[in-house]
Amino acid sequence: MQLYLPIAEIPVDPFVVIIMGAAVGFLSGMFGVGGGFLMTPLLIFYGIPPAVAVGTEASQIVASSVSGVLAHLKRKTVDFQMGGFLVAGGAMGAVVGIMIFRALRETGKVELLISGSYVVFLGIIGSLMMLESVRTLLRSPDQKRKRRKRRSPAWMASLPFAMRFRASGLYISPIPPILLGFGVGVLAAIMGVGGGFIMVPAMLYILNMPTNVVVGTSLFQIIFVTAITTVLHAAANQTVDIVLALLLLTGGVIGAQLGVRAGVKLKAEQLRALLALIVLAVCARLLIGLALPPASPFVVEMAS
Amino acid sequence: MRALIAFMFLVIGAPLHAAEIDIAFTDDRVEVDTGFSGARLTLFGAVTGVDNPAESVDIVSVIRGPAARFEIRKMEKSNLIWTPGKARVINSAPALYHTYATRNINDIAPLPLQSDFRLDADFLNIAVSDSATAAAPENAKTAELYRNAFLTEAHETGLYRARTTGIEFKKGALFTITVDLPANTPVGEYGVSVFLFRDGVLLDADQTTLAVNKVGAERRIYEFAHNRPVSYGLVCVAIALLAGWLAALAFRK
Repeated sequence: MQLYLPIAEIPVDPFVVIIMGAAVGFLSGMFGVGGGFLMTPLLIFYGIPPAVAVGTEASQIVASSVSGVLAHLKRKTVDFQMGGFLVAGGAMGAVVGIMIFRALRETGKVELLISGSYVVFLGIIGSLMMLESVRTLLRSPDQKRKRRKRRSPAWMASLPFAMRFRASGLYISPIPPILLGFGVGVLAAIMGVGGGFIMVPAMLYILNMPTNVVVGTSLFQIIFVTAITTVLHAAANQTVDIVLALLLLTGGVIGAQLGVRAGVKLKAEQLRALLALIVLAVCARLLIGLALPPASPFVVEMAS
Repeated sequence: MRALIAFMFLVIGAPLHAAEIDIAFTDDRVEVDTGFSGARLTLFGAVTGVDNPAESVDIVSVIRGPAARFEIRKMEKSNLIWTPGKARVINSAPALYHTYATRNINDIAPLPLQSDFRLDADFLNIAVSDSATAAAPENAKTAELYRNAFLTEAHETGLYRARTTGIEFKKGALFTITVDLPANTPVGEYGVSVFLFRDGVLLDADQTTLAVNKVGAERRIYEFAHNRPVSYGLVCVAIALLAGWLAALAFRK
């Protein structure tokens, strides 16, 4: 069976797309990650135009973040004040990201930008995760990991407009969260990701936020920034394919449920090593795609 | 048989009434549903003034889509990776060009006639220009390279096509042309021409226009996304939130 995607303007097999959504949903459920950084490359491998893959994935992340955001709101594990600054920075970052995206689209280099960004980020994150998990697996079990000491980041308090963030128990300037939000916003717009894989470590180790509010606040930021990114991509590039997004979501919600169940059976360190392998494999596949001679030596596009 | 008829015409002389070809549509607006992998269009025509047209004449039909602008980039290797190079522009070329003939075009019409009536996409006047200066590229060879790249790509995507099938003689004077439009068929005003040949001589031609429209849910979504992009984006977010919420409800323990 073939279904014609209205925005991607290619026919696809809907069942294959649903299964792709389920596969990535399974992994994101199992590892507790967003999955945008796996879904976008997978869509590109399947033949969806990269610009459409990015725009569409933004809308899919909005949908798949809803349940997490609701759960954290109920548990009151969202720092709204911090989230607000992150979203403000994220919105500005998304606008800048969309401008870069659009400019490169006009010179025909946006696919290179998308693939290149993925190779760099997946390469760095995959390697770090791999190193970390190898180190943990090698370490003897009696050696306990040092408890992280949360100290007040003094340099952040010395920046202008320092204020108290009650939910996070911090006294810092809003400038670092705005900058962090901005950077993640740029990535969200260019790569079609939520950016949790950068946001969460940055909140923990740079902003020194307490663990209990990190995930909720990150999800809060992600749902707003991906929603803004979706509207911006739709407005500036017409690259949001809602039919494709709904197909992916259908598979994604089912896959995630199964993934969560599978995840409980594996140890955290094994999970991390497995995820690192997957991330590095996707990175390698993208790099090969960039390095191999293209199927057609010319790119022809109908200009509007 | 063909040779025999030709011989008979030589002996008996030209037929009393002139041969004519006509095409007619029941409706000069067609709506194609491109929901799946494309659409099929059947055009009707008639050949009059010829006895037993299926055996004695040839028909060539040209379907020409609306003019469009194209950008062509050559993939170049820089260091490790391949990147698209500078764009060359074709300011105006038919977005679709299909030719249907009853047999190999070279057996039907001599080259000058093929060229005059553009019976193959190769005879189209496609000018390549430099995107920055809007002037013709440095040399004719470059222009030719990009022109050929455009034609190759257009044939691969099915937007350009030359077929020796698709024209079928029906009972008596009637014939049909079956046009297979690819899923990415452009909408707009199409020109449809038919040419009647016998023994390499053009007997008659007819042409008409056809407004091609796309219908179906996919088309409505496409038009919404392109005509009101901001509203479309907001609707997408609303749908995503709703779908996510429904999914959360469905799997709540």
